[in-house]
Amino acid sequence: MKIFRFLFLLIIVFNGNKLFADEPSSWLKNEIDKILISYQSSDLPNENRFLMIEQTINNNFAGTGIAKFVVGEAWNKASNDIKKEYVKNFKRHLALNIASMMQGYSDQKYELSKSSLDTKSNIILIDMEIFSNTGSVVVTWRVKESKGRYFVIDLIVADISLVVTKRSEFNSMLKSVNYNLSEFNKILYNQNNESYQKIIN
Amino acid sequence: MKNIFFLFFFIFLTCFSTNVFSAASDQVDTSSDDFETSQVEDEIYDPFEPINRAIFSFNNVADRIVLEPIAKGYKKLPSPLQTGISNFLSNLRAPLVVLNQVLQGQGENAFQTTGRFFVNSTVGIFGLIDVAEKMGLEEKEEDFGQTLATWGVGDGFYVVLPLFGPSNVRDTTGMIMTMMTDPINAYVVSEGEAWIVPMRTAANAVDQRSKIIDEVNALRDNSLDYYAAVRSSYYQNRNAAINNIDDSELTPLPLISIEFE
Repeated sequence: MKIFRFLFLLIIVFNGNKLFADEPSSWLKNEIDKILISYQSSDLPNENRFLMIEQTINNNFAGTGIAKFVVGEAWNKASNDIKKEYVKNFKRHLALNIASMMQGYSDQKYELSKSSLDTKSNIILIDMEIFSNTGSVVVTWRVKESKGRYFVIDLIVADISLVVTKRSEFNSMLKSVNYNLSEFNKILYNQNNESYQKIIN
Repeated sequence: MKNIFFLFFFIFLTCFSTNVFSAASDQVDTSSDDFETSQVEDEIYDPFEPINRAIFSFNNVADRIVLEPIAKGYKKLPSPLQTGISNFLSNLRAPLVVLNQVLQGQGENAFQTTGRFFVNSTVGIFGLIDVAEKMGLEEKEEDFGQTLATWGVGDGFYVVLPLFGPSNVRDTTGMIMTMMTDPINAYVVSEGEAWIVPMRTAANAVDQRSKIIDEVNALRDNSLDYYAAVRSSYYQNRNAAINNIDDSELTPLPLISIEFE
């Protein structure tokens, strides 16, 4: 009986622990499927669909780390409250960007074709090949493991990094508000509202 | 007592294993300065930004009114027809790709592209069917802008060309060299059929645009500064093309931390 309990315990532990059971690719596939399935459920209201996608993205992207990276030195000058507000706005902005991109891929087949580890940076690179009738496009997901969980830190489409592009774009906008994160928050908030209206309508 | 202890132990392990304790998303409260150690180039040399932005706005309107609707229409054609047109246009570019591969010292690639051109132009019925790909002859693109970069010519300043879109001094020079040296264009002009040249350019634009409809819309709809986003995307894409390195290896890896409260 004790042996049975012990084995049962082991199964539960290893089954649940992502570090042991989930290879990064199968974890990523699971999360991508969650997003794509939400697009394929035609009876789901658009607002709810986006909320589901936003939750998936917030749980699986290194939102705070990316948020800090893309505003560069403006982060240092801001107060904690402003930073928190910015991170909240940024996470929604990120979700809107990913949701909008994935919407285009929702009716296409895909496979995770290649997975490798960049030993220098300890970052996992996973290639997702998306097939259309006329060809395919490769999206590379950059994934970092931390405390037994995986987080997406960047997406590369056609050699273009989402994070690097955002940093350049944010830098241009921050320059116009003299690197004031508080002012920038207002712009980001308005842009999010505009993008949100587009995605739900 | 033993059973209660076991129950608590079991609950603890189950919660731990299903990440209940670690399920909180990343939080704000740390003071890592990762961004300061990044090697990413933030500033692109763009001394004529106001003029470029004006041309970019014009191009954006032209894209919305003309190019995007045509590209969407093109996407509705039967997929074998789209693939055939795309293959045909790509095959016409092959002679100049070979020349640029030779100029860049890529002997093996030049040999492969030459093989592709002959196989696709004959067995592939004037390039409509990409037979060479199935034979393992992979398609690779090279242009004069890339050749000049390989020879050490710098980007120069960023420029937005009317209708042609983002470029820089070096790539614009490369584009002019392409127009002047393209053997297909030279042939049709010599035959008194110069109208084919702009038609071919337009067909290329529609074909290329049709492949990135969703990506462009996602970028346009969600950008704080669409101009800056396109400028950055252009440089990243060109750097990848110039260096001929796998995208995942090339683009600088941002040093992004995962932060927990």
